[in-house]
Amino acid sequence: MKAIIQIESLASSLISTLWTPIFVGIFIAIVGYALWPRNRTQFDAAARMPLRED
Amino acid sequence: MTMGEAGLASGLAVFAFVSLLGAAMGHDTAFSFHAALACVASLVSVVVIGNRYLDRPAELPPAEIGGRPNYNLGPIKFASAMAMFWGIAGFTVGLIIATQLAWPVLNLDLPWTTFGRLRPLHTSAVIFAFGGNVLIATSFYVVQKTCRTRLAGDLAPWFVVVGYNFFILIAGTGYLLGVTQSKEYAEPEWYADLWLTIVWVTYLLVFLMTLVKRKEPHIFVANWFYLAFILTIAVLHLGNNPALPVSFLGSKSYIAWGGVQDAMFQWWYGHNAVGFFLTAGFLAIMYYFIPKRAERPVYSYRLSIIHFWALIFLYIWAGPHHLHYTALPDWAQTLGMTFSIMLWMPSWGGMINGLMTLSGAWDKLRTDPVLRMMVVSVAFYGMSTFEGPMMSIKVVNSLSHYTDWTIGHVHSGALGWVGFVSFGALYCLVPWLWNRQLYSLKLVNWHFWISTIGIVLYISAMWVSGILQGLMWRAYTSLGFLEYSFIESVEAMHPFYIIRAAGGALFLVGALIMAFNLWMTVNAGQASETEGAGALQPAE
Repeated sequence: MKAIIQIESLASSLISTLWTPIFVGIFIAIVGYALWPRNRTQFDAAARMPLRED
Repeated sequence: MTMGEAGLASGLAVFAFVSLLGAAMGHDTAFSFHAALACVASLVSVVVIGNRYLDRPAELPPAEIGGRPNYNLGPIKFASAMAMFWGIAGFTVGLIIATQLAWPVLNLDLPWTTFGRLRPLHTSAVIFAFGGNVLIATSFYVVQKTCRTRLAGDLAPWFVVVGYNFFILIAGTGYLLGVTQSKEYAEPEWYADLWLTIVWVTYLLVFLMTLVKRKEPHIFVANWFYLAFILTIAVLHLGNNPALPVSFLGSKSYIAWGGVQDAMFQWWYGHNAVGFFLTAGFLAIMYYFIPKRAERPVYSYRLSIIHFWALIFLYIWAGPHHLHYTALPDWAQTLGMTFSIMLWMPSWGGMINGLMTLSGAWDKLRTDPVLRMMVVSVAFYGMSTFEGPMMSIKVVNSLSHYTDWTIGHVHSGALGWVGFVSFGALYCLVPWLWNRQLYSLKLVNWHFWISTIGIVLYISAMWVSGILQGLMWRAYTSLGFLEYSFIESVEAMHPFYIIRAAGGALFLVGALIMAFNLWMTVNAGQASETEGAGALQPAE
């Protein structure tokens, strides 16, 4: 039981310390995805989606 | 009969019986009244479901007709009409309480018409009833069009729009009867909250399942904003509202959170209601309706992705700026302030993207008052998202907090941004839904100018009054005494309250012109000439 509590508090303090770099990392990955040159054509097509007719 | 029809009808029949018991055994009048309303509404719904089953063909409407999606427009029409109705109601109550502040005798000395009861009626009517119906209507429209698929569910979309408006009815009549849990923008009591939870989860499921069965591989950015709005409002609602009812047969309950934790939960909820209800949802409207109306693509799709995620990551932390200089720990206040200032960037990212979508089509602002309305709304968005971070700075807040400046700020966002973008969307949506031409663009132009003058009167009066108030409260004499008594600052507000009420009256006049215009569009308008621009297959 004591071991479990120790692991749990270790995990919780790790997560509460690490979430900032984790979230920053996720956000940087999103920015990378948005700016990646090869995605350009796909995004240009998506920008026209409201204009399409059935 | 489908499983859904049978299940919902029998569920509602049971609910009608339970509500009848509640009405008979309720501990207070308001609870009994609400239970009786629920009983009647459930019985009427059972009859409507039965009639609908008897009237409809054996097969449910097909998902496609002749290779084109057979869009479901009925619930969208209902929500659009309700939006206009609640808009007029909410603006009218706003005008009444504005005149009460200028001339307190107008509260008629009756409990039901006091400022304390009418104020939540105004805020809920404009935010949740008007804004909520606009969001539900446009989200159901945009998700179908950009996914090229029929809305998921048969009765579920109807349950969402009717159930949501029933929640509004319960909440609004509750305020008038004095039923409130006293949490700003979350005043409805426990049973209304439970009902909203059921409706909202259904809304989320309908939206998600429509996305799942989409025919387009890419999920358009407006749908991301709508999804963020629906999902976050669900989380906020559950987080802020856990309460223990005094009795399951009475309206009074106590919130699970206590003291400063309750305050923090409240403003985590409150500010994200601003961020995800009044911002993300209406940005979704901007991303679909402005390109469509201007016939231009979204200016920068990349910027839309980046500012979407930046908003999502930052907004959730900004709430503590509502609690500067309170018992909330200082670090939490500073955290809230810091994130609020950072929010300026993604907010302006959205504003720039919306405005620049007009590149190559700026001339349309001269000829199309509907587009002008939406573009001016984006400009108001830019202005109020600059003002907000500024007011969250602690030294600025020490002057602005508890004054009319806050009210002015909220209304430049609510009337200018949320109001105008909603009006623009409804001016587009109603002709598309009913396959008509808009009755009169000239009346839209009148609406635009009357309401714009109203907004300017409103917010400038509140700026002057708020700063005056703040300065009077902090003025000291040379001997260190407070220079003004509180009542002197109240007296000084009087002229500004009159100007504010005049501004609100103009805004209401504009909305009445709009309601007339839309009514004439539906009932006397000419059929749309082109099948193309926005015209859809009828659903029924």
